[in-house]
Amino acid sequence: MADAEFRVEEMPDGTKRVILTGAWSLRGVQNNFADLRDHLAAFFGNPFTHWDLSAVEQLDSAAAVMLWMGWGKHRDQRMLLRPEHTALFDMLATLPAANSFAAGRGSVMALLRIMWDKYLEFFDHLVGFLNLVGSLLLELFYIMKHPRNIPFKEISANFYKGGVQALPVTALVSFMIGIAMGYLMALQLRKFGADIFIVNIIGLAGIRELGPILMAIIVAGRSGSAMTAQIGVMRVTEEIDALSTMGISRTLRLILPKVIGLSLAAPLLAFWTSAWAILGGMLAAKMQLGIGMEFFLDYLPRVVVPVSLTLAVFKGLTFGVLVTLIACHFGMRIKPNTESLSASTTSSVVTAITTVILVDAVFAIVTRSIGL
Amino acid sequence: MSKPGLACEVTGVWTQYGQTVIHRDLNLEVRTGEVMAMVGGSGSGKTTLLRHIVGLTRPSRGEIKLFGVNLAQLDREAARQARNRFGMLFQQGALFSALTVYENIAFPLRELRQFDEEAIHLLVMHKLALVELEPKHAWLLPAQLSGGMVKRVALARALALEPELLVLDEPTAGLDPDRSEKFVRLIKSLRKQLGLTVIFVTHDLDTLVGLTDRVAVLADQRIIASCSLPELANVAHPFAQNFFKGVSERLERTDKWKIAPTH
Repeated sequence: MADAEFRVEEMPDGTKRVILTGAWSLRGVQNNFADLRDHLAAFFGNPFTHWDLSAVEQLDSAAAVMLWMGWGKHRDQRMLLRPEHTALFDMLATLPAANSFAAGRGSVMALLRIMWDKYLEFFDHLVGFLNLVGSLLLELFYIMKHPRNIPFKEISANFYKGGVQALPVTALVSFMIGIAMGYLMALQLRKFGADIFIVNIIGLAGIRELGPILMAIIVAGRSGSAMTAQIGVMRVTEEIDALSTMGISRTLRLILPKVIGLSLAAPLLAFWTSAWAILGGMLAAKMQLGIGMEFFLDYLPRVVVPVSLTLAVFKGLTFGVLVTLIACHFGMRIKPNTESLSASTTSSVVTAITTVILVDAVFAIVTRSIGL
Repeated sequence: MSKPGLACEVTGVWTQYGQTVIHRDLNLEVRTGEVMAMVGGSGSGKTTLLRHIVGLTRPSRGEIKLFGVNLAQLDREAARQARNRFGMLFQQGALFSALTVYENIAFPLRELRQFDEEAIHLLVMHKLALVELEPKHAWLLPAQLSGGMVKRVALARALALEPELLVLDEPTAGLDPDRSEKFVRLIKSLRKQLGLTVIFVTHDLDTLVGLTDRVAVLADQRIIASCSLPELANVAHPFAQNFFKGVSERLERTDKWKIAPTH
């Protein structure tokens, strides 16, 4: 098969005649229609050029479209075609033009429209979330009346996946942050000769703030994203519908175990995370300020009153429930395509972390007089 | 040197996963312009062979040539060009779920970087018309399509770069008999219009009888026969015999149809 080529002949009356030869098709690996179009541009521009396609070995849709556009989307007696190729051009003539689908966009109205849609979408999310919380409460009442239906296995599995398996990573992260904070604070405190206050700072920060917040962020990233993606894929593959047809409530089997499992695990995890943060801070205090570990631990209960621990447990519980609910909420909204899956998983993690930090700020203000 | 007139040439292919041998010294030739069906029991390695042919996986041993070249030996650019010479229709369609029908078909055309948007639009509309879909379907997302439409859009995408060879994995799986018959008719007419070579895998006997010129029977880890459907009767292998029983009934039926309108 020869490549697509053309030659130009001068006609007796001064007009030009472009003769195409070879295979005008994408099958010819050497053919580049962008180049051919550029070479032919001068002839396309001249309305008196004659075109002879009778020597073309092969003409595919790509070549035909290139020529058709060059000819200004019409065909007359100047174009000499082989009979088998005319059908292709006739077909092209019937196809709808690009501008028939042009969508109105870019105007101020369109921008307002988008903002309005976003506003409505927010309420849509709110309603969906309330629905989720409502159906969860109903299921809770139901299993209180029918304790045999409590999904113990699933709760245990979620406790293990979201709680136990998160132990190493939460420990490592909070230990490192404890060390970093300890070193920074130690340098500042030494300037004032207030070395002993490192116990207050590390103790209060570790138990009241770092533990619950670090736990929530790590759990949102680890378990929250996993839950969203899992529920989403189960929706896409109709597994959730399969559950429903078996008469099994999806809220009871899928969402409730996640919420309960993580709510049980979260306060414990928060406590664990706090402990490692304090350990990190203790090490820093020993190395930088020479405060011994035994002294640190002796002094700790005097500055951190037990109510702080209660507060930390309560915070951990709240954050755990929030992260799980948000993860399930976004999971239930995933549509069956890859874009929606990635967008929802991202939204789930971002929303969970933002909400947790917002709620934490509210907690800090509301509880400012408790245990300080 | 490869022989002329062959679209695909499989020589001495072995496929092994650990101790499991899937293909044992398998040979197959597909001539240019013919429709070749691959049949075999479940798990006989049909789809694996198909994936070897299009270069998604590589056999443990042996060589596969498409249009006389071995894809694995080409450099990146040459391999890309060679891959544009065939189109593959996956079993589930494998449409890009985040893109509309239009964007799905336009995707390979854009990758070629030879056409402007207006030409791409015209080409996409042309491909949609080829597979008998309406222009308004172009703006739907794959999730909004029915099973038959997904197959058609996937076919349009496979045809976007005007391939010479079309590889179909279970083209009519999951379609109702009416739809699958229409789809078979569509592939037949496209094959005539565009001069395609077709390799396909199917479990559906109606599709097989309706479409194929030759059939390659995969059993005992190799091709035990590659011949026309009526010639299957002469193959002694039990799988081929069983298989032929089903085929011959349908062949008779189609023959009757062919004879009926003559008088």
